[in-house]
Amino acid sequence: MLIHIDEAICSGHGRCYDVAPDLFEPGDDGRGFVRCAEVPAHLEGVARLAAASCPEGAIGIDS
Amino acid sequence: MTEVTELSWEAMSPQMRAMIGYEPNGSFDVEHPQALFLDMLKTPIVRWEGGIAFFGMSEIVEAGRNPDITSVNPATGNGMGMGSREPLIPLHLDGEVHKRYRKLIDPLLAPKRMAALEPDVRKLADELIDGFIGDGHVELHDAFCVPLPCIMFLRLFGMPMEDLDFLIACKDGVLKNEGATFEEHEELAWLAGDRLRERLALRLAERRRSGEVHDDLIGAFMSFELDGERLNDAEIVNLMHMFTIAGLDTVTSSLSVILGWLALHEEERHRILADPSLLNPAIEEIMRWESPVPQGGTRWAKVDTEVAGVPIKAGELILLCWATANLDPAAFDDPLTVDIGREPNRHIAFAAGLHRCLGSHLARAELRAAVDQFHRRVGDYRVTDGETVDWALHGVREAKRLPLTFTPA
Repeated sequence: MLIHIDEAICSGHGRCYDVAPDLFEPGDDGRGFVRCAEVPAHLEGVARLAAASCPEGAIGIDS
Repeated sequence: MTEVTELSWEAMSPQMRAMIGYEPNGSFDVEHPQALFLDMLKTPIVRWEGGIAFFGMSEIVEAGRNPDITSVNPATGNGMGMGSREPLIPLHLDGEVHKRYRKLIDPLLAPKRMAALEPDVRKLADELIDGFIGDGHVELHDAFCVPLPCIMFLRLFGMPMEDLDFLIACKDGVLKNEGATFEEHEELAWLAGDRLRERLALRLAERRRSGEVHDDLIGAFMSFELDGERLNDAEIVNLMHMFTIAGLDTVTSSLSVILGWLALHEEERHRILADPSLLNPAIEEIMRWESPVPQGGTRWAKVDTEVAGVPIKAGELILLCWATANLDPAAFDDPLTVDIGREPNRHIAFAAGLHRCLGSHLARAELRAAVDQFHRRVGDYRVTDGETVDWALHGVREAKRLPLTFTPA
């Protein structure tokens, strides 16, 4: 599983690094950054949760 | 294309007039506004004589990121509702200028910086709690929900504590004005905004004279550079105006509705006390449920545009309702159940899109630390027997009177 953030859509709600701190981290402006683009198997559920928690729908998942 | 409901102002329900036209009819001064919001969701897009309103999540998220939708009325060149005679930075800006200001301001209120405030929030919460914990009862809105965020904000901002009452009075003059008509309200708000700016300009002038460099927001505004030029005093006062109105009110109202809800829901409160990892999701869920800032202020189409396939003419007023989106069954399973462990929770209580609440990371840091500290000290609170919580909506929703009883310590 691969994850990415659409920077054109992300507006810095910060839900991704809140619910999935192993996969995302906050940048200096509050926007999320992917820490770990290739998701380890045991974090796939957390990655889906982060994507579903983003109010902007800015997180993409390629399985 | 999604179906548009054409509705005249006269034919609207009182709650819809209160929400989209700021009619001060008291519809939302109730414990459970969710039923009213749900009713509005039955017509997710409403067009009336004055503009177009969106109530559903997907349409609102789409509109929030539409660069052709601005918070400045093209007919007047100014925004509304903030007591300013000129567009406010960055709220009323759009396009590249807006982006450049947000790039300067966002880092000041970013999560890592805000997390560092946690010990200060807890210490201040303790000091306030010390003032009433021996009594066994308190009116929590005035004793805790107002002073905690206001004092934190003044420190972060860099305004002297002696200005607090004056700033709150100006902020209330901008936002409240109970009983005023729509037109009267805007005029009264401007006058309050003028008084506010006079004080802000005075404090800025004192800073300039002293020559001291402070590590606070005003100090940061003074060091901002755009295209190699420092901001001038008028631009800094404009930013200070924006921060005062946005920062003094919203965390107070959020804190009051969260603690009000928890005071009325003993079972959920006990679950959080037993498992503190539930606190953050519970706060998110109560923010979804209560939507302390229920709608996104007046916006307009800059040019002909569309949202959800609905054409909108240049100059048409656009209203986005976060509170209804937060109850939209298309976005949330079982939206009328408050599930303090809700996952996922993609609420937009802090707005959505290009103008996502600038202070959301500050608000979350304060709310989490303040509620947790309150629970550590005063875990067994409940609404005082024979009394009720007074709910009000005046731009923001709050529990404006929150009489609590607890075991004295």
